[in-house]
Amino acid sequence: MELLASVLTFTAINVVAVTGVFILTGLTGLFSLGQGAFMGIGAYVAGLMAVKYNFSFPLAAGGAVVVGLIAAVIVGLPTIRLRRDYISLVTFGFGEAIAALLNQSVNITGGAMGLSGIPKQTTLLLAVTSAVICLFLVWGFKCSRYGRQCLALRSDELAARSMGINVNQVKMVAFLLSAAITTYAGVLYGFYTTYVEPVMFGWTKSAEWIIMVFFGGINSLTGAVVASALLTGLPEILRAAAEWRIVAYCVIVLLILNFKPTGLFGEYEISLLSLLRRRGNRIREGEGS
Amino acid sequence: MTAQLIINGISLGAVYALIAVGFAIIFNILKFSNFAHGGFMTVTAYVGFLATRFWHTSLLWTLLIASLAGGMLGIIAELVAFRRIRNNKGPVIYYFVSSITLGMLLENLMTIFFSTNFYAYPNFFPVATVKVGRLLLGVPELIMFCISSLALIILAVLIYRTKLGTALRSVSYDVDTSGLMGINVLRIIQLAFFLAGFLGGISGVFLGISYTLYPQLGQLVVKGFIASVIGGLGSLPGAVIGAFLLGIIEILLIRLVGSGISPVFIFVIMLLFLLVRPRGIAGSHIQEKA
Repeated sequence: MELLASVLTFTAINVVAVTGVFILTGLTGLFSLGQGAFMGIGAYVAGLMAVKYNFSFPLAAGGAVVVGLIAAVIVGLPTIRLRRDYISLVTFGFGEAIAALLNQSVNITGGAMGLSGIPKQTTLLLAVTSAVICLFLVWGFKCSRYGRQCLALRSDELAARSMGINVNQVKMVAFLLSAAITTYAGVLYGFYTTYVEPVMFGWTKSAEWIIMVFFGGINSLTGAVVASALLTGLPEILRAAAEWRIVAYCVIVLLILNFKPTGLFGEYEISLLSLLRRRGNRIREGEGS
Repeated sequence: MTAQLIINGISLGAVYALIAVGFAIIFNILKFSNFAHGGFMTVTAYVGFLATRFWHTSLLWTLLIASLAGGMLGIIAELVAFRRIRNNKGPVIYYFVSSITLGMLLENLMTIFFSTNFYAYPNFFPVATVKVGRLLLGVPELIMFCISSLALIILAVLIYRTKLGTALRSVSYDVDTSGLMGINVLRIIQLAFFLAGFLGGISGVFLGISYTLYPQLGQLVVKGFIASVIGGLGSLPGAVIGAFLLGIIEILLIRLVGSGISPVFIFVIMLLFLLVRPRGIAGSHIQEKA
């Protein structure tokens, strides 16, 4: 039971993070290899606020998200107007810089020893609620004007620009929202494990999330959620395979990229409306016969 | 003192230049950032290490074995991770994800086979330093500088003076048209991956010598990335200039603020640089075609 609860909590936290990555990678087609660093910012800032200054969870979470947003603005402003690759390369460098910062400021963060003693305040309920709220938030974003503009610029930036879409602004909004959500995932993570260390937030973390988004289907939020549940939940239960887990991830993703480039779900989304409509059709067909 | 630092910086920059150029070759041809390059370096560093362990090879043989292994790895990588995407005319994003995945795969395979233990290369150099006038030169650094420069010069001759190089450049300019002109595009792409892997092999061994050997060694590829961002994505001369600049800046920073915190400063410098000159030093503007 304990194990199940912990697996579910980690899955929920991962879902939060992956929804953040989905906005950036799935919708906008940008790759941030610094998402792990945002998670680190979330965990550390909130953790420090709680450990050193006894802030309550909501205040600490809010503070962390604000810091994450500031960092995102600093990284985003110079890079967002450049070619896509710059965003991945610069965020990669950003991740390295944050790791170095966390490792070096020993008297604040504990350096490589990590930060311990964060109060355990993330419960299963809180994690799941956060995941659901984030899902709705991202769902709304996808359906909004911004979301559709993101899709447009993902398929063809030049065409999107010539249709009058303010490409830079849309990218920035997506980047900020994504950073905020990932930072929050970091807060949840820190307050669940009560202990964080810098190595947890390297670029492999970010790459893992990108892989989850791709595994599920690049344009499908449903796919992203299913993939993060599958790829987080299963290996936790099948402990023995832990070492080979990432290898298996990678092989699966290479296979998917080669043979089914649209991912597990492609563009498919589960939506209440379509479910209802299908039921409605069935009823109508019943009336007809 | 300053001259000493600059010399150290240049020899560090030479290794970074190898990384950055290997990365830029692929970028030039397929227009994506090859994140698997770090994986190439890790694998070849281990291959070189195994060669020294079992055959007691000299430095040159180690380099040769590692870089040939790197070249083969590059060709295999193209076959496994990129060929189908190219045949399907998939978007650049897929190349990108594929390369990230491949990089992670290689890194984790190394972790599984060699665990996270640290290994060290044997000492190839009987004398550690030589004194030239008032400057103290490290022999390993000096040799690395010479071999890196030699590799880069040979590469430059290959690219700018041979028929194969002309083909390479024309494919990087326009894949479809050069295919119509009778260039075997697939062979040229394989050549590019071979060259990238070859350079990755040399840099892998050098990184293994300068640091110890561990599965995340390939993450030093970030230095190559930063160098090519500073130099301008896709420009080979830019990558070299960026790498030397980065090497010098890094050595100066290590002296000024310490090695632990210097990545933060390098990152800030890179951001400021992008604000001032978004295309890098020598970068031409690559417009994504509609």
